Parts: sequence; C-alpha cells; structure tokens
Amino acid sequence: MPQDFDVIPGNKAIAHGVRLARVEVVPAYPITPQTTIIEYIADFVANGELDAEYVHTEGEHSCMAVAVGASMAGARTFTATCSQGLAYMHEVVAQATNYRTPIVMAIANRTLGWYWSLGPDYSDIMPEMNLGWLVNFVETNQECLDMTLMNYKIAEDYRVLLPTMISLDGFYLSYSQERVYLPNIEEVDEWLPPYKAPYPVDPTISKAWPSAGIPPQLHTTYRRLHEEIMEDAKKVIAEVDRSFGETFGRSYGGLVEKYRTDDADSVLVTMGSMTTAARRAVDKLRKEGEKIGLLKLRYMRPFPNEELIELAGQVNSIGVLDRAVLHGTGGGMAFQDVKAALYNTDIKVPVMNFVTGLGGEDIPIDDIYVMGKKVVKAAKSGKLEKEVNFVEHPMPGMVPPVSIESESCMHPGSDGCAGCGASIIVRTLLDTLGPNTVVINPPNCSGVNYGGVVKVPWILANFAAGAAYETGVFRALRKKGKADKVYVTSYAGDGGTADIGLQSISGAAERGESIIWLCYDNEAYMNTGIQRSGTTPLFSNTSSTPAGSVWKGKPTRRKNLLMIMAAHRIPYLATASLAYIPDLKRKIKKAAEVTRAGEGMAFLHVHQPCTTGWYFDPEKTVEIGRLAVQSGAFPVVEIDHGNFKISVKPKELKPVKEYLAPQRRFRHVSDEMVEIIQGHINNDWAALLKMEKEGKLDWY
Amino acid sequence: MNMVQDRPVIKGLVLNDIATKGGKYVANWRVYKPEIDLEKCVACGLCISYCPEAAINRRGDKKPEIDYRFCKGCGICAYECPQKAIEMKQEEA
Repeated sequence: MPQDFDVIPGNKAIAHGVRLARVEVVPAYPITPQTTIIEYIADFVANGELDAEYVHTEGEHSCMAVAVGASMAGARTFTATCSQGLAYMHEVVAQATNYRTPIVMAIANRTLGWYWSLGPDYSDIMPEMNLGWLVNFVETNQECLDMTLMNYKIAEDYRVLLPTMISLDGFYLSYSQERVYLPNIEEVDEWLPPYKAPYPVDPTISKAWPSAGIPPQLHTTYRRLHEEIMEDAKKVIAEVDRSFGETFGRSYGGLVEKYRTDDADSVLVTMGSMTTAARRAVDKLRKEGEKIGLLKLRYMRPFPNEELIELAGQVNSIGVLDRAVLHGTGGGMAFQDVKAALYNTDIKVPVMNFVTGLGGEDIPIDDIYVMGKKVVKAAKSGKLEKEVNFVEHPMPGMVPPVSIESESCMHPGSDGCAGCGASIIVRTLLDTLGPNTVVINPPNCSGVNYGGVVKVPWILANFAAGAAYETGVFRALRKKGKADKVYVTSYAGDGGTADIGLQSISGAAERGESIIWLCYDNEAYMNTGIQRSGTTPLFSNTSSTPAGSVWKGKPTRRKNLLMIMAAHRIPYLATASLAYIPDLKRKIKKAAEVTRAGEGMAFLHVHQPCTTGWYFDPEKTVEIGRLAVQSGAFPVVEIDHGNFKISVKPKELKPVKEYLAPQRRFRHVSDEMVEIIQGHINNDWAALLKMEKEGKLDWY
Repeated sequence: MNMVQDRPVIKGLVLNDIATKGGKYVANWRVYKPEIDLEKCVACGLCISYCPEAAINRRGDKKPEIDYRFCKGCGICAYECPQKAIEMKQEEA
C-alpha cells in the first residue's frame, strides 16, 4: 500500500509512531523540548485516534514508575522526557532494566544543568547510558517514527526484553519540520503484533513475576548475562531493521550506518542530527579529492564494537564528534567508547575527538569540514596533532541590559508577556520584603522572565526540591546568626508547588523551617506551554487535557493546596489574589513577621490569571482575578495560627459563568458543565463560611 | 556599593551580579499605547501597582508617568483606572 506523508516535526513523528504501535499506557510529564510529544499523543487520545490510558503524572520520577508498573502488568508502554527530567527519573530508569520492561522512551535531548540550556547536547542521556537499556540515536524525523516502531519490535523480542531509549536532538529534530511517510496502521498491526509479557504482574495469568534482587554471589553472573543479552540484541536489531525494510521500504543499517566509507582512508564518527551536516562536509571534502567517509552510531548501547573495529582496520585516522564531555577524562562520550573498542586489537589508528555543539550550539557544515581536514591530515601524517579538540566560537556581541535607578526591587524591561500577572506578584513580594531577600526559584516562567530583572539573589532550584534549597539557605543563615536579617522565600509555580515540589514543601513545613513559600498559581505548566497541573480546574482545556471528541478538558478537580498545607499546622497560610494588592501586601508582611520570629513556614497561595495560557485579552488580567474571587472560584482566605478567616467576602457570589465566559480555556464547557462547577463552588463556599464561624481549626 | 569587588576570581565560575542586572527596551512591536489624561488623574497609584512591567513611575506631584521605552501596551492600566483617565491609542505605523 502506498504510504501517505505529512510535513511534521520530529516530536509529532514520534507521536505517530506511538499511535501506530497502539501503545496502551502513556505516563506523561512536560519538559521542553519533549513536551509536544506528549501533547500530540494527548490529542490522539482526546480525539479517539489512540485508545490508551494516559496518565498525567506529578513528576518524572513518578512518570517512569508508572511506565515500569504498566509494562510489568503487560501493557505496551511509552513515555518521553529529557534533561533534568531524565536525571530525576534516574533511579527508576535503573529499576526498569531488571524488571525487564520493554518500555520505549523518547529523549528529546537537552543539556543537563549545569549550565542550563534548552538546546540539545548529550549530557542528559550520558548518565543513563550504562544502566542496561538499549540506546538509539536518530538523525531525521522519518527515523523518529520508524525507530519508535522498530524499537518496540526489538525491545519486546524475548531474546532482548529490555527498555529502549530513542534519542532525538531537541529543537533540531523535535521542533523542525520534515517530510515523514506514515505507514498504514493495518500493515503496522501485522508487522508489530500486540505485546505479550512473558510474566505479567497479573495473578489471573501468571504466578511468577520479575524479581528485584538476587544474592551478591549471583550479581556478577547476571551482569555477564546482561552483556550476553546486549550481544543478542545486536542480532535482533539487524533482523528488525531488515524486516522493517522489507515491509515498509526503509532500513537504516542496524547498529551503524556508513556513508561513503567503501574506499575511505579516514572517517568521521557521528550520532544524531549532526550527521546530516557531516554528510555534506564529507561530500565537500570528497569533491576536493579527500577519501573521507562517515560512520553514524545509531545505537550507543549495545555499542557497535565489531563494526568499528572492521572500519578502523581499513582507515588511517578516525575523528569522533561528541556532543557531551565525560568530565575528568579530558574528552567526549563516544570518543572514550571508540578508543576502548580499538585498544586491545592490532589496529593502531589515531583517534581524534571534537567536542562540539554543547548547550545546543549549532554544528555547521563549515565546522565539520575543518574537523574533516584535521582528520585527513592525521591520516596522511599518521600523527595526532591534538587528541581532543574543543570547537569553540566567540560570543556574538549582546546588547547590555538597561539598569534603571529606582526604589523598586525589579527593573522594567522583562521578557514576560504583555499583561503578565506573575510579574505584578513578584514585584509586590520583593518590594514588600525588601532587598535582603533570597528567592528560590523552582523552574517556571517567572524564572525565565523575571530572574534577570530582579535586584535580589534569585537562585534556580531543581524542580522537585525548591523547599529543600530554601531549607539549606535558611539553616546556613540561621547558623551564622542571620535568620532575622534575611528572608528566604520561594517564587514557585503551581507545578513546583502542588505536583513535583509537594514532597519537599511538606518536609520543610513539618520540620518547622522558617521560610516563606509563595506559589503563584496560574493553574497550568505555563513555562512548557500550558499543560495541566494539580491545580488546573475541572474541565479546563490545556495542551495535555485538550477538549476533543472523547475528552472534555481536565476530568478532575484541583487540589485544595491550602488545606493540604494547613494539615501541617504551619503558623501562617493564606490565599491571595493579584486583584487585591493591599490584602496581598498585608499577607506578605504577616508571612515575613512569622518567619522572622522563627515560628515556622508561611505559605502564600496567590492566584495569577494568565493571559497567554487562559486565552483572554491582556488588559483583563486583574479583572479575571477579581471575578475569580467574587465568584468564589478562588476564595481569598487566611489561617493565622489556626484561626480561619475569609479575607474578601462578597455579599453574594457572582455566577461562575461570568468568570468562565471570557476565558477561551472554558469555551467548550456546556451549561450542564457550568452547573457542575457552580455546584462545587457553592459547596466549597458553604464549607468556608462554616470554618470561619467555628474560628479556630480543630487540629491546630 | 559593588560587593563583587575585592572577591577572588574563581576559574569557570559564572556570576549573576545585581549591579549588572537590568531589562530590555521594547522594540517597535507595541500595538496600543496608553496615554494618561493628567487632568482626570487623581494620583491613586493603582496603575503603578498593576503595571506588569514596572514601567509606570510616580512623578514629583505623585501623578504617574509612563516609561514608554518599556511599556508593552497590555492595557491593564487603562482597564483598571477608576477615573478612566488612561486611553489606549493605536500606534502609528
């Protein structure tokens, strides 16, 4: 059957692969530049094009754990992540191996901090390389789709039965459009039958299941067996590549792909999307008469030792391009593997290393041409001029930032959206607390937009650990006698508070750390492009809960953050809104007093209408905030040492429809759905009035 | 006071320095421009609190002044002004 094609980004090609493979369980958590993979899959599920269990997890650690659980129970499972998210998964990534879960996970490569960047290099996948997974790198968007299908066939083969990473360069592939041919699903069904787990965690089918541990005496044996399985996987990879080619007309050469190597004297070794530029550089050098070729590493694990040795025997020099550094070894990631593969052989060929494209910097054809020249020169002379070359470029001139003298703790001229509510809250917070404040910033849009314009230390924290960073800063200051001189506050989003950050906040609250936790709640992951969070309201249309023919927006209600934190009996907590600045200021002052006195945590949950994510006109940011309070959709209350009080109490609540109507995220909501929301609000408001009447919360 | 002075240089350490922080001017992409009618203005300061850009300052007479180098034209100030003293006017092409 002829294949249809579409011009799509790599992330969508992956999602099509997932759809065509009829994946059964998809745990998801957003992170740039992977996020659109899980968004495209959400669209497929929301519109009935893929019948899968879609799990909106609260962090990557859980995301990978859902994947392992689902795969153990016998479902074909997919997930995707990168960078910090992959690092946060690490522990569970290791566990997935010995539970023998043939998960396919897409890694839209992005630099792992330090230093932070959204652009791709392989510092994120490097620490995961040796945990027993198969690790596949792709060059094109077509390969993204094809390898998603092939990797299921390889991973689920009982000779392998191992999880697999498919690594596509962020931005270069994830967001770039290319022509991609889409196989017919009937043909895929025939080629890739449903996954049958040999020992599913399902007592109705199997009374045996994969074990977590073995005695120390067996570890060495089982590690050796794993190496044998990796060797077996090489055969399976070659078989599947052939069979895919026979069925769908495309094959890639298995572990490696060679380009113009037949008569080559020297060879460049590449991986991922840089290969395309490297092909052109090789063409250019060939035109000049240089006999140079290219070897693309398609799988880093299992590592193609045999293919490398064979090629090394034919050439006089090798140049390895590396998008990651193994710090402390002096060189790159693939470089060390290539050298190791050749060492105990008779082949003595100089191997050079080019560390290039770190942090997502482009690797242009001209650069690779120069590398190629050096490799050719080494082939002719038989000598290495320099073993490891860091390909560096001068920083282009940048416009220096504009500093304006003012009493405010914030410079004008941020990168924020026009009409951003978050910046109103940042400024109110910092101008109230003053310059002796340390802000801990779990990743969010405010960190990106306002971290550069505030006049206080603004420390980027890891997503799941904001309150722990705060604890560290606070304890050190307390030890040095500064606890009453410096405020330690977060500026955290709803994801960093209600989802991935909750464990750390709970710990700090229970320990009685005298820190401020401020959550600016825009009710979704705005930094990654409006995915639902634990505080996204019922029926809200987000990019991970799209309203479609099957889905009607987010199916569940938001968490009651205030009550979760009140259960910790912290001395002060409040909700607030940017529409009520004097009330917000008073609450920040109160939080400052309580923490300065060393009484414990102060928790501020501030509602922040988001013009971009909620789809309303930017001049209505404050108006929408006001409507949220006046309709009871976001009640503004405080709990001061257990005493409950409603801060803004309208005589009569406005109908919630007035609040929902101007926001396009609720455009699909029917009258019946509005009634359901109104019912919840009425109940909640009655409960708040009752609590206020009782005054002190019983458990304080 | 530049507290970075007199501190050791650490190889490879990248610093954020409050002294060199700052913002950017808006280019020429603003579509609507707020204009304040100072006759109507009662200097309540609401526009100053609500400006997401911190681009409105108090003048000597307490009345607001918009720093158009930073204003993105969101229109919150005009929408919220209780005196209706701010009008959004389309920028000339």
